[in-house]
Amino acid sequence: MSQMSLSLPTLLVRQERRLLSLLFVILLLLLLLVLPAPLFSLLSRSLADAQGQYVGLANFRAYLDSGALQRALGHSLWVAGLSTLIVISSAFAAAWALTRTRLPGRGWIRAALLLPILAPSLLPAISLIYLFGEQGLLKSWLAGQSIYGPLGIVMGSCFWTFPHALMILLTALSQADARHYEAAEVLRASSWRTFFCVTLPNARYGLVSAAFVVFILVFTDFGVPKVIGGNYDMLATDVYKQVIGQQRFEMGAVVSVLLLLPALLAFLADRWVQQRQAATLTARAVPFTPKPDRLRDLRGALLLTPPLLFILAVIGMAVYASLVRYWPYNLQLSLANYQFERLLGDGWGSYLNSLRLAGLTLLAGTSLVFLNAWLSQRTPQPKPLLGAFQLLALLPLAIPGMTLGLGYIFFFNHPDNPLNGLYGGMTLLVLCTLVHFYSVPHLNLLTAFKQLDSEFEAVGESLRASRAQILCRVTLPLSLPALLDVALYFFVNAMTTVSAVVFLYGPDSNLAAISVLNLDDAGQTAGAAAMAVCIMATCALAKLLHSLLGLYLVRRQGAWRGQA
Amino acid sequence: MQQNCGSRLQLQAIHKRFGHFTALDDIHLDIQPGELVCFLGPSGCGKTTLLRIIAGLEQQSSGRLLQGHRDISMLPPRQRDFGIVFQSYALFPNLSVQDNIAFGLRSLGQPKAQIKQRVDELLALIGLADQAGKYPAQLSGGQQQRVALARALAPAPGLLLLDEPLSALDARVRGHLRKEIRRLQQQLGVTSILVTHDQEEALTMADRVVVMNHGVIEQVGTPEQIYRQPATPFVAEFIGAMNFIDSPRQADGKVRLGATLLDMPQAASQGARVRLAFRPEEVQLLPRHSGGLPACIEQLEFLGTFLRARVRVAGLEPLLTVDVDPRSALHLHLHVGQQLDAHLPTVNLRCYAA
Repeated sequence: MSQMSLSLPTLLVRQERRLLSLLFVILLLLLLLVLPAPLFSLLSRSLADAQGQYVGLANFRAYLDSGALQRALGHSLWVAGLSTLIVISSAFAAAWALTRTRLPGRGWIRAALLLPILAPSLLPAISLIYLFGEQGLLKSWLAGQSIYGPLGIVMGSCFWTFPHALMILLTALSQADARHYEAAEVLRASSWRTFFCVTLPNARYGLVSAAFVVFILVFTDFGVPKVIGGNYDMLATDVYKQVIGQQRFEMGAVVSVLLLLPALLAFLADRWVQQRQAATLTARAVPFTPKPDRLRDLRGALLLTPPLLFILAVIGMAVYASLVRYWPYNLQLSLANYQFERLLGDGWGSYLNSLRLAGLTLLAGTSLVFLNAWLSQRTPQPKPLLGAFQLLALLPLAIPGMTLGLGYIFFFNHPDNPLNGLYGGMTLLVLCTLVHFYSVPHLNLLTAFKQLDSEFEAVGESLRASRAQILCRVTLPLSLPALLDVALYFFVNAMTTVSAVVFLYGPDSNLAAISVLNLDDAGQTAGAAAMAVCIMATCALAKLLHSLLGLYLVRRQGAWRGQA
Repeated sequence: MQQNCGSRLQLQAIHKRFGHFTALDDIHLDIQPGELVCFLGPSGCGKTTLLRIIAGLEQQSSGRLLQGHRDISMLPPRQRDFGIVFQSYALFPNLSVQDNIAFGLRSLGQPKAQIKQRVDELLALIGLADQAGKYPAQLSGGQQQRVALARALAPAPGLLLLDEPLSALDARVRGHLRKEIRRLQQQLGVTSILVTHDQEEALTMADRVVVMNHGVIEQVGTPEQIYRQPATPFVAEFIGAMNFIDSPRQADGKVRLGATLLDMPQAASQGARVRLAFRPEEVQLLPRHSGGLPACIEQLEFLGTFLRARVRVAGLEPLLTVDVDPRSALHLHLHVGQQLDAHLPTVNLRCYAA
């Protein structure tokens, strides 16, 4: 009797588990649909001819025989390698100066050094043209060298990848244990020895990780070489040329696959290194705070000056150029270049589209990442599902934007695909952007969830609260700061991205960053600069809003976060 | 004051396997209403797994659980009747003390006034009435622990589960909270299970102690039984200190301890050799030539209320551990290298198969 009356609620709770798993499976299938499926389309297309007949590796052979591969691949590797070297050394120096000295105004310097992350990668290229181009302000500095080519690409790439490296290295260096430094001091190690025996080894995983990140970013970037590369072929620009210029989709697919391979290798190598990283920082570690030392501060200032000047000069030049009436003949300041209705068919339309894309990606991306991370971390899920999800969530880190975008063309523009109505529309742009930038927010929330007590759900159950109640009353409020970061990340990247969406926009869904590209192509460099500045200003505004909300949260939640 | 009505809990043939590893092997236990039972054992002995099975947070591989007359074997945690306190407390950091305590009452959908009354009652009970509006991060470890306890007790559960509740606290607070938890438990009459690896905690708080090792129950008994009559060498060694001496069984059914022949304390053990066991405080040290076994002190350790000596006794293989009260120590002028006589106990010896 009592067995019978109990069985119904029992069943419901069992059902809850099954429902949660079902939800997780559905979300996994969605991820499968928007990531591996397009990649598979791309792969199969690279093995077929223009008519869709399977031809094996013939396309690859043709590309190899043309000699274009060796040239483009060589160029891409050289540029990416050189940029990585420059960025990692200068970013490490800057990170050291920011974490190991008491230089006044460190917060502001840090903010300024991170500014490039708010701009599309096209901005430095345009700005460099104004600085070092044919009519450039500082053309004489190049001593006859042309900025159009590897020089410009490396300079531009260094500009926009610098903050990515700096953030990783700042984290790596700020996780120092003061006790190690005290031990070194007590053992009478010189400051150089301390640097090589304590600072550097502790940061080595950060260095490796940052190097891989910068390498992949430069290797797969399309914006900088497109604008300032001149005739210097790179793999990423070659994809664009094959597809947009010559409409040879299968060759574009071939180059994309070749673009994917080194990125995938770098990604796997990075994962391998990360897995070997034992947590060197224990819970008992004492946070390091630098002691006052004038000489050290001076050294820090010297190290910070070159990147700071370079970044401010590039941004300043872009803003200035966008305000000048007619470079270099009429230097009167005006807002004429911002009158996009004169320059572009759709006027401010592409900018508004970008805002829409960024807003929608923010909403959809933040909710999806949160839901997935919650399901995978805080609810019981079968092990195999979790493994598959982990792989899918990190895969986007390894997929170049060009490759993803081209895969989307093949998959969603296929006549047999019931979803091909999405092609050229905003939905597909949102989906693609969301997938492209999925991994970093995912890792962000995973970390946030791991910091929550693993027994919250168990306590909740013992107090007869439902999972939803625990989620709304505890988990969500506790992860708000992380959610805020995730939202900003999605917004900024959706505003600035070019590489994936360049294949996917339609007449009604042109984007601001693509307008920059098109304006530059049409010789409207000042207009392009103006649009790039608009994008950057919007992102800066978003960042400001993010900081204000963060402050508000600290004030509201300060009491229970133990900061009041 | 709302009185809890503690319920009886029966565990019948509980097994738990993780792959090939057997975490729990045929656990039977009958816990009476209002009783406080400690699961005691080294880490990895299965005590926490057993607690989580009782809570429904883990599913047993086989076996039955009865709470009162109700079979709860297959019920999810939400439908069982228990409150739980974790080692980490797992207090919700974004909720104030009173909201934490009220959490379970709100899920039950009780009216506001009633919740308020119950929360105030519990706050008074744990002596934190003036801290009601604070957040967990603003409280000390001991205070957080008491809030976690109040939160678990708020819905008046029939069973209270405590998972190493005191091990994150420093010694002084721990001693105080032991008494406090015991007082509350007895006052409310709630059946309680406390998981711990701290024998002192188990001996001072429990009505009965369940000593576990490698997934099986070694012994169930009152603290005194566990200490005085350890059922196995493991229990004997795990609880307090113990001297073990292996001795061949004599033809006449007696055993030899040093120079003396003793009647076999228990006839149960088989085999040619037996292992005799006695506590350090049961050995007496006397001046030389008082008729005991010649002994020499090799090490002395000052432990406050008593001295612990490591003593070499003629004819016995391992060094013996002997506890000496300070007065006798003073009287004997105890020092390292001293030659004395040791009187080994002749009654109440424990005897195990060697």
